[in-house]
Amino acid sequence: MKARNAVGTVAVNAEPGYLDPYRNRWIAIVKASYIYIVFLLIVLVFSVVKLDQVRFFGRGHFLSPVSIVNLLRSSVPIITLAGSFTLLMISEHIDLSVGSAMSLSAVIYALLVRSGVSFLPAFLITMVLGVLCGYVNGALVMKLRITPVIATLVTLNVFKGIALLIVPNRISAIKSTDTIKMPLWINDYARKAVFLRLPAAFYVAIAVVVVLVIVQRKTILGKYTAAMGGNRTAAELSGINTVRIGWILYIIVGVSAAMAGIARASYMSLGDPLSGDGMELDCIIAVLLGGTNFYGGEGSVEKSVIGALIIVCVTVGLMTVVPPFWQMVARGSVLIFAVTLNYLLAKD
Amino acid sequence: MGDNVLEIRNLIKTFPGVTAVNDVSFDIRRNTVHCLVGENGAGKSTLIKILTGAEQRSYGTIRLNGDDYVAHNPKDARDKGISTLFQELNVVDQLTVAENLTLGMEVTTFGFLRNVGTEKMIDVLKNLEPSIDPRRKVSTLSVAKKQIVEIAKAVASESEIIIMDEPTAAISEGEIQRLFKIIRGLRDKSVTVIYISHRLDEIFELGDAVTVMRDGRHIDTRPVSDIRDRSELIRMMIGKTVFEKYEPKENPSTETILKVEDVSNDKLCNVSFELRKGEIIGFYGLVGAGKTELARAIYGVDRYDGSITFKEKTLESSPHKAIEAGIALVPEERRSEGLFTILTIRGNTCVMNMDKISRSGFVNNQSEKRVTAEYIRQLNIATHTMEKETAKLSGGNQQKIVFSKCLFADADLLLLDEPTRGIDVGAKSEIYQIIRDLAHDGKSIIIFSSELHEIVNICDTIYLLYEGVLKERIENGTVIDSEKILHTVTGGE
Amino acid sequence: MDDMAIAVKPKNTFLRGISNESFISLFMITVLIVLYGVAGAIVPNFFLPRNVLNLVMNYWFTIILGIGVTFIMVTGNFDLSVGGNIAMTGVLSVYFCQAAGVSQNALANGLGLPYGVALALAMVCALAIGGINAFFVTKLKVPSIIVTLGTMMIARGVAQVVTQGAQRNTSLPDIFGVVGNASVGNTPIKISVVIMAVLVVVAFVVERKTVFGRRTYLIGANREAARLSGVKVNRHLAYLYLTSAFLAGVTGILLASEFKAGVSGRATGYEFDALVIVLLGGTSINGGFGSVLGTVVGALVLGVVTSAATGLLLSPDWQFLLKGIVTFLAILAQRYALDRRKS
Repeated sequence: MKARNAVGTVAVNAEPGYLDPYRNRWIAIVKASYIYIVFLLIVLVFSVVKLDQVRFFGRGHFLSPVSIVNLLRSSVPIITLAGSFTLLMISEHIDLSVGSAMSLSAVIYALLVRSGVSFLPAFLITMVLGVLCGYVNGALVMKLRITPVIATLVTLNVFKGIALLIVPNRISAIKSTDTIKMPLWINDYARKAVFLRLPAAFYVAIAVVVVLVIVQRKTILGKYTAAMGGNRTAAELSGINTVRIGWILYIIVGVSAAMAGIARASYMSLGDPLSGDGMELDCIIAVLLGGTNFYGGEGSVEKSVIGALIIVCVTVGLMTVVPPFWQMVARGSVLIFAVTLNYLLAKD
Repeated sequence: MGDNVLEIRNLIKTFPGVTAVNDVSFDIRRNTVHCLVGENGAGKSTLIKILTGAEQRSYGTIRLNGDDYVAHNPKDARDKGISTLFQELNVVDQLTVAENLTLGMEVTTFGFLRNVGTEKMIDVLKNLEPSIDPRRKVSTLSVAKKQIVEIAKAVASESEIIIMDEPTAAISEGEIQRLFKIIRGLRDKSVTVIYISHRLDEIFELGDAVTVMRDGRHIDTRPVSDIRDRSELIRMMIGKTVFEKYEPKENPSTETILKVEDVSNDKLCNVSFELRKGEIIGFYGLVGAGKTELARAIYGVDRYDGSITFKEKTLESSPHKAIEAGIALVPEERRSEGLFTILTIRGNTCVMNMDKISRSGFVNNQSEKRVTAEYIRQLNIATHTMEKETAKLSGGNQQKIVFSKCLFADADLLLLDEPTRGIDVGAKSEIYQIIRDLAHDGKSIIIFSSELHEIVNICDTIYLLYEGVLKERIENGTVIDSEKILHTVTGGE
Repeated sequence: MDDMAIAVKPKNTFLRGISNESFISLFMITVLIVLYGVAGAIVPNFFLPRNVLNLVMNYWFTIILGIGVTFIMVTGNFDLSVGGNIAMTGVLSVYFCQAAGVSQNALANGLGLPYGVALALAMVCALAIGGINAFFVTKLKVPSIIVTLGTMMIARGVAQVVTQGAQRNTSLPDIFGVVGNASVGNTPIKISVVIMAVLVVVAFVVERKTVFGRRTYLIGANREAARLSGVKVNRHLAYLYLTSAFLAGVTGILLASEFKAGVSGRATGYEFDALVIVLLGGTSINGGFGSVLGTVVGALVLGVVTSAATGLLLSPDWQFLLKGIVTFLAILAQRYALDRRKS
């Protein structure tokens, strides 16, 4: 369909790429599906490796139920964050403070639970904190017009600073809330199986993803997000309040960070003010792997989630073959690979 | 309802230090095409910005259908019945054509998009340009078609008044004619169009009434039929008479300086021509004919097959090699390709030939200042200090700075891509004079332009381009048949 | 135009005569003096000469990094790889220098190369990181913030691999610890600080007086126009990334020498400190605007604030919060000052 159109217009005006429609179509197909192929390949590669020596997997293979459950359980925070981070990047914004916001939420949640607050109020209060984090970012970027990278770098330091300062004491060398007096149920949310051996936190993460996919595809917020990232001036001249849209997106990211923090605190049974460190990088890698354009306008929530799963697979998969010190090198390489691939595909 | 849809009374807009609109009063009659002309800096754009809500007036009243009118932003203006087609492309590349058409006017239920109203928008587009598929992504369309999408959006908004700010700047002749038909159709459907253009011919073709502005003041508003010809309009715009006429060169040189042979790439097809020393040649063609691509190929920006020989040496493909060889380019997009807008006039002038103002890598500030002052004087750049940021200058003065950049490069061949686009008439004739003087001093010049009278006025030889192919070569000085030229560049045989 | 010139009577001819960069530097110097006065008033012993000296001495490495980062940011790009590069170069210089085959412990065995060769090789590795940055930024046109985040992780990862996530500090020749601990004469001023001072002066001259400096600003102001004006943009950016990597490498070797150890966690977060002082110095992230002088002032501002916090016996955990708030306030203040000046 697309190809015929392009050929039909040659006589009127030269259009980009009219010379070879078939090549364009192949590129479009590759562009649309490479992430799934990469994911399958990675799963295949790791499933032939024996995993017995790695404690994480218990006994068995990469594709054994125990391994899959462990993998999915530990990837809850990144899955929760990848979707909203995608929307933010489609709007041509970025939030480097997600990791810190997540740590801060984890610490607050752990402190609340330890001081005797029950699950639901603790959960809700932490979510309010997430809204607040997002609101502050939105205010700095959208209202005060500070460049996103700089503004969120500022809040990265602020959130992290607060998290470090409110943790009351140190146990051994690692600073975090201790597990003494921590009620045992804190674990339930992220570890206790509710359905198909997976915990509630996982289903909440999936629900977040589903909601965001619908938001992106079917709602006015999704359309305006793309419009704003594609051409902000045009969006504003069409009467779109881009300040408000951007602000909402930052708040959504803040809320997701809070949910990720709760999941992390529950999983670890404590609040670690450094537990979210590097999460912003994982988010960027996941979103870029998922094919979202770094300069905004285009992207897809579900592909970022696949990107997130790829990161988790690579991270734990690598543990089977190389010492843990290689993690950082691998992660850096994947990031550069992802962004390069993203660019080469965007070029044509 | 009275005859006048819009009445402007004693409108004043002051910026710190300048009065951009100075006590302007005039009426716009219902169901007319009302043209607004004036040089850059005459106050047209400020007036338009007040109407669209992008700026707020300092004093005065505007009445829309007899009621006081104030717009706080473009959406507010549109809600009140005035929509605007802005000069820059304002479509979102990543969305589809249909999504762009409804952008900002969606019908939703609880935030969910509904498919209401899209059909009507698409019908408007189909009337304008049937070949655009509404499901296509806008990024796959040509510049002209993007503009058509934008026009369709403005037309479909069903406003009482549509303001069009230079809508024909980037679209081809055929599309212009279609646009004119639509504008006339709008007028018949009781829409008032305020039309701004630097192409004066269009005003005679399309306009019912014309308002002339100069230096922020209202000069005159009258029916177009009361204006005798182009030169009378120009006189009103600049307050003096300008003669535009081609004068043949006295002793043409025979020395060939540039030889282009069989140059092809995805936008050009076997282009060959020669250029003599001191000669001015012009490439005329519509938007998308390959003019900019040819300029960029010669300058070494884009890749090509074939050979380009300059001063008997084959050119290497890179801009800095071209500059070293003695070629300079005045690019099509002044602000994004020619000028360093956040830097001062002084910071811009010498950049193409840093060696000339430096010794072993160290810049000599004194000679830089001397050179800059010299060019400000020579090209008559209106500024009181060379430390002014170039972003704050008018279009004409900015273009003169781009020219001074190229002149300082000591180039023997100047490539001028749309050298007077978006520049007012006064600055235009100054730039034509600069070009003639340069040729007189033995510089060779190639002009790439989509304004025929500009090419005819100054070029010794004219080449016609269509779809990347050189169609015809015309020696100037003979009688030029504009109709035949238009026939050729629109693809006629 | 002429009306305008008459209408706006310059109130302060001196301030109007200087460039915006110098204006911001002066502004930040004023802020620095005020902060210094306030800190002196509330923090005990703040004015002691030793404390003043420490202010500069404790920030020499950030300032060296800041030089390279300033130039890159003036072109509108980032370099976040410098922190990782310091760790990598430090660790490698130790590893190359450690005696070979002396112990059962893998971390005590190195390659046993001569001191000079070891340093040279470590510098080559540092430059390789700069080369990777340059390649991806100029040839593949990938956004620099992402590439340099990637190389940051790769460089730090290499440091972790070589040290198995810990450090190497045994079987080193005595000469290894000389440079980083040497002082000038009998003064407490370290060689490293002298190197920093020399680099700052050189950078200042390059920025203000040379064609190279001018071209850096041109690229930041308008990359496409710079290319069409004959600036070899890609080559220029490559030089800048190599320079930044070189400076990080030198810093890495000096720090490894000072502690006589290659630590994989060394210089964590320094890339952000460098970015923070560059921002405090008024350099614009959009390119085309900034100065090395400003960066030095920025480092001092950050120094005054953090040492005041230390003086008030606040826990080191305060540093993140302080850094964030100071950067935020500085950005707002600079913007306000520039706007006032322009109108």
